[in-house]
Amino acid sequence: MNHATCRNPVFCLLPPYVLREIARNGSPEQREVATRALASDGTFRSLRQVTTPSRTPRMGTSGALDPEGQKRRTIYDVGNTQDLPGRVARAEGQGPSGDTAVDEAYDGLGATYDFFWEVYRRDSIDDDGLPLDGHVHFGVDYTNAFWDGTRMVFGDGDGELFNRFTISLDVIGHELSHGVTQYKSGLNYFKQPGALNEHLSDVYGSLVKQYLLGQTAEEADWTIGAGLLAEGVNGVALRSMKEPGTAFDDPVLGKDPQPAHMDDFVRTFEDNGGVHINSGIPNRAFYLTAAALGGNAWEVAGRIWNATAIDPRLKPDTGFRRFARLTARAAASLYGPGGLEERAVRAAWDGVGIPAA
Amino acid sequence: MRLKFRTEGGFASFPGLRAPVEIDTGELQEEEATELVRCVEEARFFQRPEGPEEPPPGSADLRLYTVEVEEGAWSHTVRVYEPVGDPALRALIDALDARAKALRRARRKQGSEGDR
Ligand SMILES: [Zn+2]
Repeated sequence: MNHATCRNPVFCLLPPYVLREIARNGSPEQREVATRALASDGTFRSLRQVTTPSRTPRMGTSGALDPEGQKRRTIYDVGNTQDLPGRVARAEGQGPSGDTAVDEAYDGLGATYDFFWEVYRRDSIDDDGLPLDGHVHFGVDYTNAFWDGTRMVFGDGDGELFNRFTISLDVIGHELSHGVTQYKSGLNYFKQPGALNEHLSDVYGSLVKQYLLGQTAEEADWTIGAGLLAEGVNGVALRSMKEPGTAFDDPVLGKDPQPAHMDDFVRTFEDNGGVHINSGIPNRAFYLTAAALGGNAWEVAGRIWNATAIDPRLKPDTGFRRFARLTARAAASLYGPGGLEERAVRAAWDGVGIPAA
Repeated sequence: MRLKFRTEGGFASFPGLRAPVEIDTGELQEEEATELVRCVEEARFFQRPEGPEEPPPGSADLRLYTVEVEEGAWSHTVRVYEPVGDPALRALIDALDARAKALRRARRKQGSEGDR
């Protein structure tokens, strides 16, 4: 362990299960140090397999005790500075902190973890129980949320254009899913691969919300960031997967620039080559697939997209056409070639001007 | 001193927020002008590499700031991704961002008055 995580040498010597006990039951200061030590201790995960789990383990699909499926969240309060990581405000298993952003981040990361585990049997970002770190109250009036390669960071918003970025569950799911893409396909964050990276985060983010709310494809609003735009801003969300380009139209923010079809593909060097712009095209293809298949989007459409996201043939430089083909192949291999599902996927890509053949 | 400040990227794309903000310190209140010049000096702006440094691998939704400063015959541009680690450069960007926000606020107020 390095010095940064080991300010109190006593904690360096304690085995992880003792640290975990302190993290839960110690004084606030002890808890903070113990939690930080735990969160950064790479040996914890391997030890976890052989020590007695302190919480009730889940039953795996096989019916056997499953050491996986245990989330480890730590929410840090950066205290309106930009000095990461900030102080631990809520660690795994602790009750509500009373701070809205802290508790939203805690619950949002929990809902996202549960979604990946319960629906796709993915054990956290790396499918190996990686701890989830969320950092709230970053900066002053900070109007962004981002994934820095290891953690999720959320600003409070300025109250004039944007509310706090933890307000939308799909935004939290979106950020965590960037971690999944990082560990899996590693889609480049530029041009079409970057737009696919954004697209997958929107798909997962939206599905996390639909799963928690128990909404069918028809009932879901298919927006990203509902509630995030401040009062008085003319818009409903940051993006619409159902009708890209219609989420906002405001004198200050401008009009939602997302295209819904390849005919309107935007060529630009800004925004890493339009990654948050052209993601509207695959977003709409996903919506069309889910709408055509009906029912819960995470069950069939989501499963097809998830299979594509973890398909080794999805490379860092994969563009829209290849991605479309991979989704069609995933549908065929999951549900049979030429079936309803594969046909729905192909029709959806046709609908946005991308041949999946 | 003339400054130009641009923000791109971030969680979503907003065409209205992409337009650069241009500031001529000669047109500012003295206090504000002095503060900006001080920020530029403390950030050792003209000695900085243009950048941007590559953001961490796998990162996403980071905003990219572009700052251009013109002082007499000198002109220099610095591009940097958030979060900005260097406190002096961060102070400059915060000051420019505050200025951009104030201009937007004025624009919004104007817009709503125009509606009436
Ligand atoms: Zn993103």
